[in-house]
Amino acid sequence: MHPGIIFFLVILGSVLFHIFTPWYWTDIASNWGGMDDTITLTFWVGGGVFIAVCLFMIYCVFKFSYKKDRKAEYQPEDKKLEKILTWATTLGVAALLAPGLFIWNQYVSVPKNALHVDVMAWQWGWQYRLPGEDGKLGTTQVININDNNPFGINLDDPNGKDDVLIQSDVINLETNRPVKILLRSVDVLHNWYVPQFRAKMDAVPGIVTYYWFEPNKVGEYEVLCAEYCGVGHYAMRGGVEVQSKEDYNKWLSEQETFKDLIAKQEIMELENKKIVKNNNFLLNKEIYKEE
Amino acid sequence: MSDPKIEGFELKPGFKGMAKDTGSDQTMFKGVHWGKAMMWIFLLSDTFIFSCFLISYMKGRGSTLIDWPNPSEVFGLHVGGVDVPLLLIAIMTFVLITSSGTMALAVKYGYEKNRKMCGWLILATAIGGLTFVGMQAFEWSKLISEGVRPWENPFGAPQFGSFFFMITGFHGTHVTFGVIFLFIYAYKTFKGHYDEGKRGWFTTMKGDYVEIEILGLYWHFVDLVWVFIFAFFYLW
Amino acid sequence: MSDDYENKTGYQAQSSETISSGGSGRSGTASDIDYVRPAENAEQDLYHGHSFITKWVFCQDAKVIGVQYFLLATFTGVIGLILSWLMRLQLGFPGAAGFMTAEHYYQFVTMHGMIMVVYFLTALFLGGFGNYLIPLMVGARDMVFPYLNMVSFWMFFIAVGVLLASFFVPGGPTGAGWTLYPPQTILEGTPGSGWGILLMCISLILFVAGFTMGGLNYLITILQARTRGMTLMRMPLTVWGIFTATVLAMLAFPALLVGALMMTLDKVLATSFFMPTILKAGEVLEYGGGSPILFQHLFWFFGHPEVYIVALPAFGIVSDLISVHSRKNIFGYRMMVWAIVVIGALSFFVWAHHMYVSGMNPWFGFFFATTTLIIAIPTAMKVYNWILTLWRGNIRLNVVMLWCLGFIVTFVNGGITGIFLGNVTVDVPLSDTYFVVAHFHMVMGIAPLMVIMGAVYHWFPLVSGRFLNETLGKWHFWITFLGAYSIYFPMHYLGFIGVPRRYFEMYDSPYVTSAVGMNEFISMAAFIVGAAQFILIYNIIKTLKTGKPAGHNPWQANSLEWLTPSVPPEHGNWGEKLPVVHRWPYDFSVPGAKEDFITQTTPPSEVIETEVEKT
Repeated sequence: MHPGIIFFLVILGSVLFHIFTPWYWTDIASNWGGMDDTITLTFWVGGGVFIAVCLFMIYCVFKFSYKKDRKAEYQPEDKKLEKILTWATTLGVAALLAPGLFIWNQYVSVPKNALHVDVMAWQWGWQYRLPGEDGKLGTTQVININDNNPFGINLDDPNGKDDVLIQSDVINLETNRPVKILLRSVDVLHNWYVPQFRAKMDAVPGIVTYYWFEPNKVGEYEVLCAEYCGVGHYAMRGGVEVQSKEDYNKWLSEQETFKDLIAKQEIMELENKKIVKNNNFLLNKEIYKEE
Repeated sequence: MSDPKIEGFELKPGFKGMAKDTGSDQTMFKGVHWGKAMMWIFLLSDTFIFSCFLISYMKGRGSTLIDWPNPSEVFGLHVGGVDVPLLLIAIMTFVLITSSGTMALAVKYGYEKNRKMCGWLILATAIGGLTFVGMQAFEWSKLISEGVRPWENPFGAPQFGSFFFMITGFHGTHVTFGVIFLFIYAYKTFKGHYDEGKRGWFTTMKGDYVEIEILGLYWHFVDLVWVFIFAFFYLW
Repeated sequence: MSDDYENKTGYQAQSSETISSGGSGRSGTASDIDYVRPAENAEQDLYHGHSFITKWVFCQDAKVIGVQYFLLATFTGVIGLILSWLMRLQLGFPGAAGFMTAEHYYQFVTMHGMIMVVYFLTALFLGGFGNYLIPLMVGARDMVFPYLNMVSFWMFFIAVGVLLASFFVPGGPTGAGWTLYPPQTILEGTPGSGWGILLMCISLILFVAGFTMGGLNYLITILQARTRGMTLMRMPLTVWGIFTATVLAMLAFPALLVGALMMTLDKVLATSFFMPTILKAGEVLEYGGGSPILFQHLFWFFGHPEVYIVALPAFGIVSDLISVHSRKNIFGYRMMVWAIVVIGALSFFVWAHHMYVSGMNPWFGFFFATTTLIIAIPTAMKVYNWILTLWRGNIRLNVVMLWCLGFIVTFVNGGITGIFLGNVTVDVPLSDTYFVVAHFHMVMGIAPLMVIMGAVYHWFPLVSGRFLNETLGKWHFWITFLGAYSIYFPMHYLGFIGVPRRYFEMYDSPYVTSAVGMNEFISMAAFIVGAAQFILIYNIIKTLKTGKPAGHNPWQANSLEWLTPSVPPEHGNWGEKLPVVHRWPYDFSVPGAKEDFITQTTPPSEVIETEVEKT
């Protein structure tokens, strides 16, 4: 078989695969439809160039394959053609770049009314924190983290007291409300990624990174870690439940705040102390007795 | 040194002439010894190494949790009851720069085939370098005795110790290698290897006084790098 | 020892008649238009080995060193290939290999990546082809520093030894991913975070040191040791590609060296260059205040030029192969040269496009997306010129040409997916998914591999004096090309689904179940493609002794490496006299010429009646 035919079949196969593929992106569930559109645009332009270049190559292979009596053309360069091609390519590239930069501008400008969500990652799990009634998250530090303060909130920060703590790898979000994800990690790099939301960003220990999106479809989604973080990387999953406003508020009111946690711990500590006190009392009694 | 005379070749004027000369056949740098060209490119590569070190240092210094220590306190010397900031380092820098001068003279005398002068000047350079390394060893031991370690630092950010020991250590290694080669070259000069064109031990290349200039390039580079390290660590 | 030097008796300076002939009377005689400036460089004295050890082991002949590099890089590459089989076994058929734990999987991923990028492709293109071809193509007797060149290879040898030793140390090789991102690289929780990463860093440092020695040789040989008449714009594009790639390597490897050194210190001395405050198993570690992103910058300042260190030699070589086998000059030679140089220069300003979602300041995205897409322009020009070279050529559809065509298809495919990933917005959903894996395997795995294979079939007659078997070659090509394409083309769609890379297994995720079948298919294809590579090894062994003898210049090429007095060329390459170059290496099918090629050494007086271009 002529090699050109096989190359042609490869290109044809690629196009057919693209048309009939059962594997394509998951249904989008956030505001980043623009990303999908940019990909589609890039796909058409890029795919077109790929097919054009390959078909031209295949044509040459058919038309100009070796014949003993033929001589190839001698043409070292064609300045005009090269100029046209350069400018056409530049134009095409600019056309792809412009929408990309436009949407990136949206990506880095977080809306003012976005709900701040603190996502804390470690090897290998997630937990979340939402601002309380004051709408502000308290500041945190890795060294503060202990059993009594699982998020490492600075105790002298008044904003932190009413923070809502969600010690679970699943978080609920409200539809059509922008969310600013504030990522932090206590050990290595992680990445909080929901394929349906399209957006992602690494969590870097030592700094807080962010990105934003607006979930717009009610449903449950899986969170994947998208930055290699050690042997447990593949198992580091979480979840997001996107709910309507009423469901979300109901869920939110059931969550524990940092204040509640402290109070609970104080009660426990108080009880512990009481027990100790009683013990001492008994002990003292016995001592008295002996005397 | 004057421009080399190349048979059948003239340098052409202007930008176009420069492009033409650069692209001419056989050599790009006319009359430049292979070893010398190699050293220049090696130094360019080495420049990137030190740049990476110093840029990392700037980034590291900017992002530490604890404040950076005050260099004039850390590097100060206590002489005769008075605290003199940067005394040692001033002497070190002076010695190293002076050794660059003696090196330049050695190259000059080498090309004049003045074997004795050349040899003594290389030896002087080597001793200058050795003094530098010795003083650096003193400074290191002083800092270590004060509790500064690569992983901790009683004066402030631990990264101070990390970067200081790493970068001055890397530079000191350069100086040390330079000193070793200076001693070897001094020996070879006194023995007259460069006059006779005796082959080297390993590379089996013929000896030539140009080798001293090549080593000189390296030595000047090491000095220049020190100026930057000095500015970044001691004056910032 | 000095008895071993040939120059006592052998190569004297250029014969005086050639030199003096041009200087006198300029009256349009044949000797006048053939005038080439006299030699500037003195004859190089070469050390000729006599014993087996000095001839074949510690040899100073660049050609032997090139073959040594080639063989050792191939050996490491085969190890990388076997690792990829094991990975694909796990991905396609989870649990099929009983011993495969997540630790092993990640170790194999890491070693596969590092081996293929650094120890296979870089060493093969620059160490292998660079050493063999540079002195021959520019008309030098050897590399300018043969001893340093030999040391370079043996440093590489030790680097490979240290790398492979990490398979046998406690904890095994590092499993941190080939990018070695701290902090996880040196923390428990990552396989091989003890000995493994240490040996990896040491091996990289040795590789860089060894490569620097080789790289200085390549550069000075190309810049300062060309033969008479060989101007920069008469060099074959292979030399241009290797030259630019070496410049990139000399400037990019320092960043890797510094990164590896700092990582070693973080590991051994517990410094905190890259280590912030870390809470591990409820305890705060002794680290604090370092910046993990700093390492990523250092790594990618090396890592992106590294892509072009692999790609540029491939560009150069494929240009030459296409030109020779379509019997036509490379279209737009000057554009090709400038494109190589511009791509090389730009590659230092795009590194952070690997870090769009790394947590660096997102505003950098604008700058790096723009620079990245600008690189697409010279790259596209190269592609156009390759296919325009085929246009109205006289294309020999032999195995070499097939590999070149395969290169064009895979490279254009991978290049275009590169535009996806370079454009910052599009990168966000696709980064860290299988789309990235498919992209870089296509563009810097398969495409350069196609060139390597084409180059092997092309230059094997020069190295051994015999042709490789064409039929076996065709089987090798079609299995490799079709197989590799059907591995990586569908893999892009896994990325669209959102399957993250570096997942040991993930069939419990709801939307990935549909990908099971595809993963099985990809794995099957990977096994077949890998196995097909042994056809080449069989072919080489078989034809080394019994292949069809090639003789002089079997492909009717123009460039100097085919014009040596003996095939295969001997140490010193050119016998008594160095060649004198009169033209560029692409004078194919010149109108009016008797044959369809005019070699670089053909003097103008012999082709007076042709319409040859002045170069």
